[in-house]
Amino acid sequence: MTAGTESGMDRATEAPARKPVAPAVRRWHRLRSAAIVLATQGALLAVLLGFWDHMTANNKQAAFMFGSPSAIAGFLGQMVRDGSLWRDTYVTGLETLLGFLVGNCVGTVIGLSLWYSRFVSRVVEPFVIALGSIPIIALAPIIIIWFGTGLISKVAMSTLSVVIVALVTSYKGAVGVDTDQINLMRTLGASKFQIFLKLVVPASLTDIFAGLKLTVGFALIGAIVGEFMSSSEGLGHAIFKAGSLYIIPKVFAALVATIALALLLTFVVGRIERLLMPWRRIH
Amino acid sequence: MIGAVNGVNVTQGASAGANAVPAIPLVVQHVAKSYDVDGRLVPVIGDLSLTLDQGQIVSIVGPSGCGKTTLLNTLCGLLAPDSGRISWYGREITGQPQNVGYMLQKDLLLPWRTALGNVMLGLEIRGVAASEAQDRSHAMLDQLGLHGFSDHYPSTLSGGMRQRVALARTLVNEPAVLLLDEPFASLDFQNKLLIESDTAKLVRKGGRSLLLITHDIEEAVSLADRVIVLSKRPTQVKAVYNIALGTERTDMMAARDSRDFSKYVRQIWADLDVVLQ
Repeated sequence: MTAGTESGMDRATEAPARKPVAPAVRRWHRLRSAAIVLATQGALLAVLLGFWDHMTANNKQAAFMFGSPSAIAGFLGQMVRDGSLWRDTYVTGLETLLGFLVGNCVGTVIGLSLWYSRFVSRVVEPFVIALGSIPIIALAPIIIIWFGTGLISKVAMSTLSVVIVALVTSYKGAVGVDTDQINLMRTLGASKFQIFLKLVVPASLTDIFAGLKLTVGFALIGAIVGEFMSSSEGLGHAIFKAGSLYIIPKVFAALVATIALALLLTFVVGRIERLLMPWRRIH
Repeated sequence: MIGAVNGVNVTQGASAGANAVPAIPLVVQHVAKSYDVDGRLVPVIGDLSLTLDQGQIVSIVGPSGCGKTTLLNTLCGLLAPDSGRISWYGREITGQPQNVGYMLQKDLLLPWRTALGNVMLGLEIRGVAASEAQDRSHAMLDQLGLHGFSDHYPSTLSGGMRQRVALARTLVNEPAVLLLDEPFASLDFQNKLLIESDTAKLVRKGGRSLLLITHDIEEAVSLADRVIVLSKRPTQVKAVYNIALGTERTDMMAARDSRDFSKYVRQIWADLDVVLQ
């Protein structure tokens, strides 16, 4: 028997196995592949943490310089017990959320309305680029002077970190709308406002949500930088204080909380996206 | 030029429609249009005149890149002609003509709207009450064989179905005149024939007029009462054919089977003067 006929037989015996897969089975396959991804991620993390712990276990200097996972876990436990973890996370979360919402609302509204007038958008373009190129950190001292050391200054920092990105992404979405689609709306008798409302805004949602996901991180950075400058609470405050006192594991503990906060906010944005754009779920 | 006078053997009487309008739906006289490309004036439409009569189907065929789409956009008021006159029902207008439906090769369905929502778009824009708009859109989808698909998003429909939804979106506004730009070009042969037949039925039954721009000579001949052949750029009318196939003009297969069909196709092919480049 030659190799050719053999492989032909293989195919023949394989063929009946390719029956249409039942939805329940397909769902099981999907779940299984998701579980494998998750398990691999967990294993990778465990290896990294294990390596880190091992390297710092018998070396006091390394433990001081880099902290260790067990020390970080200890500080996290302590922060949970004394309530500072929740308070700091809540404060930073609130600043981030407010800055995120204000920045995205203002940026998106301006970005979308620039679609209305080519003239206005051309006039403001260099200004937008100029504002976008300012490192927000450089503004922090001024913001503290203007808005004080409380919540408002952090929200302002967070807002400023978000607003230009939101403006640019939503404007990009709005001007990217298919000209043929606009012409179709015009032949259906749509006014400019109707075109804006029924076509431009929903068509820009994809870009707007891409901007939202991007700006979660920016909003958080803005709030934390604000807290670095001057604050009495928040995760940025905790990081700054622990860093100044050379308590490195505590810096990492607060960082873990910061990462968790970012993941939570990104998750929520993703959920809202799925809710608002049901047509993108079906394929 | 052959048969520059309007067709006599066209069923004028049967297609008078519910609201007989005395004026001719569309008259184009000596329209010219050129584009400014890097400071150079490129003429696209040289000197074009044509007439679309009440209840008539007119096809426009031309070589690739002869400015068919520019012509359509000019007729729709999306572009302004450099010179010449375009009158809809005897009146020159600025902006979009009323009661004219427009459809392209791209279905341009809004992905965030269901089939029903897409069909309702025009009615919604004109402020028709939601319940009435829904009923009319449902009825139109049913007529085009899309019963049971009204809640589907475009991404879940096949190409033929999407194009039917686009046709329903155009027809639900009950336009007196339809302007179609290669609407069936991306469909497979079977779907194309079916949707062509449906279009012919709905247009002729409703007494509407149809201007069809296409590069498909067979489609042009089988659907139309009159075929206008355009020249290369700058575009002019090269020839006009009054199509007399003698059959019932809503069955595309019968039209293709009729005696003179291939004669027209061959003549138009010769007119187009297609050369390999």
